[in-house]
Amino acid sequence: MTMKTIEIILNGYKEKVPENITIDKLISFFHEKDSHVIVELNNKYVSPHTYSSVVVSDGDRVEFINPDFGG
Amino acid sequence: MKVSAGNPSCAVLLQSELRRYNRQIIIPNIGKRGQRRIKKARVFVAGAGGLGSISAYYLTAAGIGYMRIVDKDRVKEENLNRQIIHWTDDIGKRKVDSAKKKLQRLNPLCTVDAVYDDIKDDTVIDLVGDCHLIVDATDNITTRRILNRASLIKAIPYIFGGVDGFNGMVTTFMPGETPCFECIFSTFVERKRLIGVIGPLPGLIASIQTLEAIKLILGMEDTLKGRLLFFSGIDMKLKEIRIERNDTCPVCSVYRKREM
Repeated sequence: MTMKTIEIILNGYKEKVPENITIDKLISFFHEKDSHVIVELNNKYVSPHTYSSVVVSDGDRVEFINPDFGG
Repeated sequence: MKVSAGNPSCAVLLQSELRRYNRQIIIPNIGKRGQRRIKKARVFVAGAGGLGSISAYYLTAAGIGYMRIVDKDRVKEENLNRQIIHWTDDIGKRKVDSAKKKLQRLNPLCTVDAVYDDIKDDTVIDLVGDCHLIVDATDNITTRRILNRASLIKAIPYIFGGVDGFNGMVTTFMPGETPCFECIFSTFVERKRLIGVIGPLPGLIASIQTLEAIKLILGMEDTLKGRLLFFSGIDMKLKEIRIERNDTCPVCSVYRKREM
């Protein structure tokens, strides 16, 4: 049985990911080494406390952004 | 929420000020009334490093009436690639003293209050005093958390900026209106690593912060409220992320309950 996939744009690149994937799973899926990332979904910030409930849909644009705290 | 900079009609502009600030007074959004607001404004600049070098300089040049700049660090050689208010012969001096010396020479009409001190939980309220807004020029998350709380307690804007490598980010947190620093960054922890910074990045980010400060003082709309600007100098792209209040924010939700 093959897993259904959807296509999203991640950091500007087309990627196939499992259907109904949540943000926390997406972070794991791409083995994001740095857990200190801001997640942006369709130009909107995603709050970390919703990572396990926000589901990514086909055609969504997702960005992992490393925040900057130097001065 | 509007920045209260007192009654602008009370601040009389001297002939020397009309000459000095002419190129901004002739801007319709500013005029003499706006310049009086700038003269009446009191701004807290947290840090005299890469970001603070720029924001303190432009605020002073613009004619801010009073600026308190706080830092407890001394100038090091490795600061000089980006902290342009400090020069080679300042190495070893207190950053706030080095900054004040330049700022007073730049504009003796402004009052610069240089404080050599750490910004801590138990000192921040007194340090911010009766300033109308906070410009973040720090280099760590811990101090930013402290500034955020001061902003919420005093109900004054907190203009956040940060840089790393070729990248930088900036937004304005307005108590009661927008997310606070913790709404966005509560899960982030301090890291013990040296952050590399190319000089123009703090120049760019602090310039945007200063523009925000001046716009807030002037009462202008369309600031960065609810928008996090992220600049990548690698691919020269500017990104805007919409940010919203977090109802479960461990910090500002407490102040919201107090307001109700």
